[in-house]
Formats: sequence, structure tokens, C-alpha cells
Amino acid sequence: MLLQILIQGFLLSGLYALIAVGFTLIFGIGRILNLAHGSYLMAGGYAFFWIGQIIGLPKIIGVALAVFLGAGMGIAIYRLIVRPLKGDRIAVEIATLILAVILQAAIVLIFGSSSKIPHPLVPGVVRIADTPIAWSILVATCASWIILLSLYAFIRLSHTGRAMQAVSMDPKGAAICGIDSNRIDIIVWSISGGLGALAGVFFAGYTQLSPSMWVTPLIISVAVVIVGGIGSIMGTLAVAHIIGFMEVIVTTLIAPELRGVFTMGLIIVALLFRPRGLFGREEI
Amino acid sequence: MDIGRHHLALWAIAAAGLFVLPSLVGSGILRTLILANYLAIFAISWDVLSGRTGYISFGQPFLIGIGAYTTAILTKRFDVPMEISIPAAVLVTMVGGLIVLLPALRLRGSYFALVTLALMELCYQLVQVIRPDITGGTRGMSGLPTLTRGASNGYYLSTGLMLTIALTAWMLMRTRLGLALSAIGMDEGAVQGAGLSPTRLKSFAFLASAFIAGLGGAFYTHYLGSIAPRALFDITFLFTILAAALIGGSGTVIGPILGAFFLTFLLEWLRPLLPGAERYFVYGLVALLLYMYQPAGILAIIERVRVRLFGDSRSG
Repeated sequence: MLLQILIQGFLLSGLYALIAVGFTLIFGIGRILNLAHGSYLMAGGYAFFWIGQIIGLPKIIGVALAVFLGAGMGIAIYRLIVRPLKGDRIAVEIATLILAVILQAAIVLIFGSSSKIPHPLVPGVVRIADTPIAWSILVATCASWIILLSLYAFIRLSHTGRAMQAVSMDPKGAAICGIDSNRIDIIVWSISGGLGALAGVFFAGYTQLSPSMWVTPLIISVAVVIVGGIGSIMGTLAVAHIIGFMEVIVTTLIAPELRGVFTMGLIIVALLFRPRGLFGREEI
Repeated sequence: MDIGRHHLALWAIAAAGLFVLPSLVGSGILRTLILANYLAIFAISWDVLSGRTGYISFGQPFLIGIGAYTTAILTKRFDVPMEISIPAAVLVTMVGGLIVLLPALRLRGSYFALVTLALMELCYQLVQVIRPDITGGTRGMSGLPTLTRGASNGYYLSTGLMLTIALTAWMLMRTRLGLALSAIGMDEGAVQGAGLSPTRLKSFAFLASAFIAGLGGAFYTHYLGSIAPRALFDITFLFTILAAALIGGSGTVIGPILGAFFLTFLLEWLRPLLPGAERYFVYGLVALLLYMYQPAGILAIIERVRVRLFGDSRSG
């Protein structure tokens, strides 16, 4: 039982970290909450489904299309919504929420409102410590870890990554040092969208594809940002594990229907008692 | 805005028009009007809180849902007559308003909106899990007693309720209290500096908003005769309320009403073209474009057209 919880917890948490990391990056760079973040996952999941099961091309093309679609969406949201609103955070929140509803309706328009089951990324099941685990979930978690660690290295080591850090710490100072913050914003928004859509491909293997599937990942991302405070990648990983393990423990020990209740409760409690988050202010 | 004689005449014509309307149009349009009336009530309730004080609430469905569920449970499971259950629902909703108020005492802006969003989703999940024998679980409840029979009675009731609420809110907002609430939206520190208590003003705004939401929610439930969690604690529902208030023009009373009627009729006109949930695609696009390019809403557009056509009567 304990071992099962451990395995399930780690698998779920890795995915949750990938889901939330784009949302954290955006929050880190402009203190903006992009409530259309869940829509990247939805778009990514459906793009994967469309390529693989409707067009009938290899799955890897579906994954690639999902990532490009997500990145494009991220840039579009930044150019068409965030920049015209000039960083008015509440206005961005409202506008992105409206956008999420529009995209949900667009999915209903294209694919219909019934839920779809995508083929798994990698078929088959592997047994680890007497727990059957689908290969696709194992692959998703490993991929999440690899992506998150390389993103961390990219932000720490590369020139662009350090410019991202600079913009997140102090946009004016960064501008004085000759950093084109517009270019950095576009890079961050496209990374956020691409990773979100990729997470959507993995997430669709956990649940199903449905037009309202964007709500759960959005709540998870919000919880990660709220509980973790202004997010670093390591902070995202840590909080994703708190939330992931909490959900697995609740699901196995108490009742599966309650999994979301505790996440929501955690958001509310964290905001009321530690509005700055567990880890306080940190750069990305 | 001073009340002149021609204003009174206009109001009288409007009231007479509203009164004879049921004999002029079919019951389909009446049903749409009823929905628009209830949406207008919800939008006003959102606007009293968020449009004035600047505390953007994503939790209005939470308040409306509390009101709706309280009266539904009382009448269906405990056979309480509606004369008692509706006031009880309003009271419970006001308690709910205090719950929403708590985070507003500590948080501002985007965080407050998130907490209210979380409250709404929390309620959606809790309703299905806790005592489904009472709440009806995922399916909700049907066969609730209704207040009125027939479209025209429902129309009179909802119009009367909406106009009463609108008028009360309008008169309230013309007082110094309304001014102070709007001042909170601009600069809370300045309000405090002026010797007023922002906490007390906020409590008032939240309670008033919850009162309207509870009243609207309870009457709406007894108009529909059924209740379901996904119809109430839903982001689409939240979006409709937000869009109505923002499109019409928040910070006014007439704006949310205009927005509610505009959106409800837009949704009905789209029905033959797009029968399902995909109607929200057009609806959302309209809402987003209006919000991005005319944040003051339809009211500002109407005002601009009026000035174009008739000149600026206020300065002249």
C-alpha cells in the first residue's frame, strides 16, 4: 500500500510539475496569471488525437504538432491579449478566462462535446513492485523530469535563460542592461504554451479528452503558484509533489471523489494564511 | 444624472411597454426575457461587489448556488413552504457572502479572484460528494415547486424582481455610500485616509451582493423547478455573468441589465445556427472583443452614438 502510494505519487507529481511549470514561468516574468493555461493542455491533447486517430499519421508528428500549436497559442495570447492590456493583471485574468471558454466552445465545434479516448503514447503495461503501470504514464513522468531539468539548466546557464531571470527580477534594470524584454516575453510565452500542450498529450493519457478538461490542470497550476509563492522551477517541482502526493493519498485512503476537494482547499488555506506562498519570493 | 420630467415620461412608457409585452409576443420570447431578467439580477449582484469595489469575484456562482441549493433542499427534502425557504436561502447566502469576504480582508486583485474561483470549484465537488441523498449528487434535483405557472406570469415575476433590485441598487449607489464603494475601487488607502472604514464598506458590498445573488438564485431555482451542480457551479455560468456585466458596462446599474439582455438574445438567435455549447464560441468572441476594445461596455457605445447624433446635451 505504502509502496503503491509512493510510486503513484511520484508518477502523478512529475506530470503535475510539467503541467504547472509554464504557468509558473509566466507568473514569474510578469506576475500575470494566465487562466487560459489549461487550454494549452486541451489543444495539445486534441491535436495529438487528431493527428493520430483522425488523420492517421505517426504519433510523434502528433506530439510535435501539439508542441508547435501550444507555442503558437502562447505567442498569440501574449501579442493579442496581454500586451494590448498593458499588464493590467485583473484585466488579463478576465480576458484569458473568457478566452478559455471560447476555446472550449471551439473544441465542441470541431470535435463535438462527447469525450474521446486517445491511444496511449506508448502501449503496454509494466509491473513495478507489483503495481501495474502503463508505459505511457511512466514515459510521461520521465519525459517531464528530463524537460524540467533541462529547462532549469537552460534558465541557469544559457544567455537567454539568464536574461529571463533578469527580466523576472527587475524589468527596468534588465532593459537598462540592453535586454529586449519583448523578445524574452515572447520566448517565455512560447515555452509556456509548448510545454503546456506537451503536458496535455501526457495528461490525456491519464484522463480522457473532453471539452472541459482544461479546468483541472488550471486548478493544479494555480495551486502550485499559490502554494509555492512566486515560482522557481525547483519550487514548482516541490509543490507539485505536495499536491500530487496529497491527491494520491486522498484517492487511495479516503475516497476518489475527494481528490479535487483537497487541492481546492489547499489553495484557499494557503492564500488565507500564507499569501506569499511557502517559499516566498524567488527568481525563476 | 438629474431626473427630469422627460425621464419620468420615458420610464412610464417603458413600464407600460413591459406590462403589455406578454400579449404581444410569443411565449418563446417571453422565456428568453425571463432568462435575461435573471441573468441581469446576477450581473447586478456581481457588479455591486466587483464593478464598484474593484474586488473581482469569480465566485458569484458560488453565492447564487448557495441560495439555489438552500431553497431547493428545504422545499424538496423538508417540505418547507417557499415563503420560508426563500428568505432562509437569502440569509444563508449572506453567510456565504461573509465567507467570500474573509479573503478580501487580506488579499487584493488577482489573488482574490483566484480564491473565489477555488471556492466555486470546491462547492461543485463538495455538492456531489457530501450527502448526495440530500443534494441530489451529480444529477441534482428536479420536481421542485415553482412559483408561477405559464410564461407570462414568470415574466411578470422576474421583471418585477429585476426592476425592484435594479432600482434599489441604483438608488443605493447614488448615495454617499455608493460613492464610498466606488472610491474603494479606485484607492482603498485614500478611503481609509478620509476616515471611512474600508472593512465596513466592503462588508456592506459583499452582503448586498450576496443578498441579491441569494434572492436571484432562489427565485431562479423555483422558476426552473430543477437544480444541477454543473449548471450552477460552472465556469461557463460564471463567464456569462461576468460577460453580461462587463459588456454592458460595469460600475453602473443599467449596464449589466443591457449586457444581460444583449447576451441572452444573442444566445437565442444563435440557437438555430449552432444548437449546442458551441454557441459560446461566438458569444465569447463578442465578449472578448468588446472587453478588449471597449472596456466601458455597450453603455459607452450607446452614449457615444447619442453624442454623435444629438450633440452633448450635458455640456450644452
